Amino acid sequence: MDRSGRLLERVGVPLAAVATLGLLVVMFFYPVGTVLAESVRVDGRFSLEIFREILASEFYFGTAAVALSDPAVLVRAFPDYRLGLFGFTAWQALLSTVASVVLGLPGAWILARFEFPGRRTVRSLTALPFVMPTIMVAIGFLATFGREGVVNQVLLAVGLPRLELLGTLQIIVLAHAFYDAPLIARITAAAWEGVDAGMPETARSLGASRLRAFRDVTLPQLLPAILTGALLTFIFSFMSFAIVLALGGLQKATIEVWVFHSVEQLEYGTAAGLAVLEIVFSLALTYAYLQYEARQRASSAARPPARKRLFGRLSADRLAVFAYGAVALVVFVVPIASMVLASLTGPEGFTLRNYAFLVERQAEAYDFQVKPLTAVQNSLLFGVGTLALAVPMGVLLAVVSTRGFRGRKLVDTLAMAPFAVSGVVVGLGLLRGLVFGFEAFGYRFTVSGALAIVGAHAVGAYPFVTRTVAPALAGIDDSMLESARSLGASRTRVLLDVELPIVVPGILAGMAFAFALSIGEFDSTVILATGGSEYTMPVAMNRFRGRRLGPATAMGCVLLAVTAVSFVLIDRLGDGRGLNG
Amino acid sequence: MGSLELEGVEKSFADTVALDGVTLSIEEGEFFTLVGPSGCGKTTTLRTIAGLEPPTSGTVRFDGADMTGVPVEERDVGIVFQNYALFPHMTVAENVAYGLKFADPPDGQTSDERVAELLDLVDLPGAGERDPDELSGGQQQRVALARALAPEPEILLLDEPMSALDARLRETLRRQVKTIQSELDVTTVYVTHDQEEALAISDRLAVMNGGRVEQVGTPQAIYERPATEFVASFVGENNLFSGTVTDRDGQAVTVDVGGVEFQVAAERAATGESSTADPPAVGESATFSVRPTALSVGGSTNGFEVVVETGEYLGETTRYYAGWGDRTVVFRTPEPGHEGRVSLGFDPAEARLLV
Repeated sequence: MDRSGRLLERVGVPLAAVATLGLLVVMFFYPVGTVLAESVRVDGRFSLEIFREILASEFYFGTAAVALSDPAVLVRAFPDYRLGLFGFTAWQALLSTVASVVLGLPGAWILARFEFPGRRTVRSLTALPFVMPTIMVAIGFLATFGREGVVNQVLLAVGLPRLELLGTLQIIVLAHAFYDAPLIARITAAAWEGVDAGMPETARSLGASRLRAFRDVTLPQLLPAILTGALLTFIFSFMSFAIVLALGGLQKATIEVWVFHSVEQLEYGTAAGLAVLEIVFSLALTYAYLQYEARQRASSAARPPARKRLFGRLSADRLAVFAYGAVALVVFVVPIASMVLASLTGPEGFTLRNYAFLVERQAEAYDFQVKPLTAVQNSLLFGVGTLALAVPMGVLLAVVSTRGFRGRKLVDTLAMAPFAVSGVVVGLGLLRGLVFGFEAFGYRFTVSGALAIVGAHAVGAYPFVTRTVAPALAGIDDSMLESARSLGASRTRVLLDVELPIVVPGILAGMAFAFALSIGEFDSTVILATGGSEYTMPVAMNRFRGRRLGPATAMGCVLLAVTAVSFVLIDRLGDGRGLNG
Repeated sequence: MGSLELEGVEKSFADTVALDGVTLSIEEGEFFTLVGPSGCGKTTTLRTIAGLEPPTSGTVRFDGADMTGVPVEERDVGIVFQNYALFPHMTVAENVAYGLKFADPPDGQTSDERVAELLDLVDLPGAGERDPDELSGGQQQRVALARALAPEPEILLLDEPMSALDARLRETLRRQVKTIQSELDVTTVYVTHDQEEALAISDRLAVMNGGRVEQVGTPQAIYERPATEFVASFVGENNLFSGTVTDRDGQAVTVDVGGVEFQVAAERAATGESSTADPPAVGESATFSVRPTALSVGGSTNGFEVVVETGEYLGETTRYYAGWGDRTVVFRTPEPGHEGRVSLGFDPAEARLLV
């Protein structure tokens, strides 16, 4: 073994970890820190005034805020309490959780207990919403449930009155269920398959009826999975942005939407205060989730529960499955199908006009108007930029997390922190911290919006690269590495010659993941692209949303294609790793 | 109470026949073992008895009563699975007490008393408050046994309960199971693929193969008088010789195997439980088995000459693999060190004519 190789291996890995953390400091911790600093500063001095105002405002905390100064209101207003912005955010998250569980559990039952052609495919597809751009799904819901949407066209055709679903709580909850019900179905089905068939059978041999055995033995083993899924759903729905913005508008605003609104109104203090309160809440929830999840152990059954053939003599349970299938079709397939349909039709019938619009230069457009081709170009450019940053970061952290060294746990924790902070807040931090410029060593630095967007995307994407690569790395047999080293390879050579070739599929899956997340990212991009020309397809879709659904749906279809291809790559190359949970 | 009959039980899954007409009669209080290689149908038979698998045709009777359509929870059976199937979200005591929710504990005991009694019985006193995953494999299996026995089932069904345990522990545990079984006098059906275990533990056993029962009998009868080629080669070690019958009288049959004539006892065990079957006639083909320990070096009766290829020193005996023409013959002798050409022989009474 040569000396330089040994040096590289002893110093190289920790050095790479430090470099990655350095990037994270610049792209994540410092920007989020500036948000925190801004929230406790009024006129350049330390002050808690912003928080005091938010906490005492009926607009933000509803009746609870009034009760701070006037407790009697709790009696006076009973039971007609106002929720306020925070209350509403939690309320819609709770409803979304309930809806997702209700819609997800039958799916889990079918996936775990029935056999039918395409079951594995359906099972893989439950992970698809995970990489679906939120704004695309919102456009899909608009194309389905909007004023001129498919649902209303059907209703009008059969002579029923039009349904006004936009701006309602129901449509927000339904769109969240679109995302999270498959997640719950997936997690619960996996737990179900882990309950050994011998357990309910034993319970029955001891005298329990079929239903009783399910209640006493199977259900308690599913509950942790259901709770895990519900907690995740609550967190996602609490921090959800694009769906609420596009389908609820300002009437049904959540904290995220109001942070964005405040930024647009240039009220950065309020935005920062709200963002900090939200971070506190989301960190607490994420911590609770991680604590709870860590206590779960994955069990695998020696004999998984038997599956019933789905197609056979009609019975009550089969009928129930088909009924659920019809509901699932409306909730999960129709929104996407409607979007595709809307992109291909106009008042004149079938048309490719919407797609032609995407590649037109639009020379006549005013500066403040969105140029579609620019959006497409920006999206692709930022996607490539994200790959360049997120893939090395993710791979390095994966290498680090499979090595033992001092401070590893700290690195792991810091590296996963971006999970708990919403895109809007990261965007706000990058905008205030880097794009508006900062001073160091007597100079003033500013970062361009484009660079900041790439940074935000990389921060969102690298944990997924780590999650696809790390299991592949960890799965490499020690004896394989030991043989390579016994043959004379240095640690570095082993990494290059043995480990990396084995993890290349994982890396490709991570790249697909990073690209899909970048090209669909909306939350931070929309903040960083405000007023600038760095808008991407999702941002453009949002601006088209109100007036021209056609181009928005065409862009949606482009995103759908990218998402679908990425998903297939992730699923095939990465064994669906990183999609679980 | 506790006798059990299977009559012509058949079971086919989508495209395979798992049970091809199984008929068995198990006595009250008997320790009865189903033994055979994997896929022979022994577990399916057990699951059919339990009511977990409805037979495609045929009947299962408990104490003469037809069990068709009676669900498992009403059959009064206790089951222990290979992987224990303890409920992970319940303590040991809650696991053992589970069946007592559906049946009162015997002798006016409280549920707690019954649980304590059972945990004593399986030698795990005081383990009640522990979680199943804190216990070793052997301890978990004893909890599973206690749980199955707590409601005093008529029939105890054990599905390969020891195969996840290491060899030594298996021997200790099987003695314990046997002791508990005879103490409680509960009818027990035990499934295993381990023929040695089956011989050691059973009152009677059924050797199964390809969804059929090959032979039923006491361990001694099965070992000493195998009825079929399958039983002869599955239970213990055996040499099989096939040839043509050239002569036959009252006590002996002469079989020509590759040009050498052997005298073998004419008695032939039957596949069922009747003791004998007719020997083959002159001109018919016949197969007989001879245990490696029954082959003696230098024996003059039924003598033939082999060439020793390898020897395995096993302590009390040495096992030799020897070539005889293109066949391999196995013999065991107390003395090590045989090499080269060796002449072997055997007593005609030690040979078993097979079906």
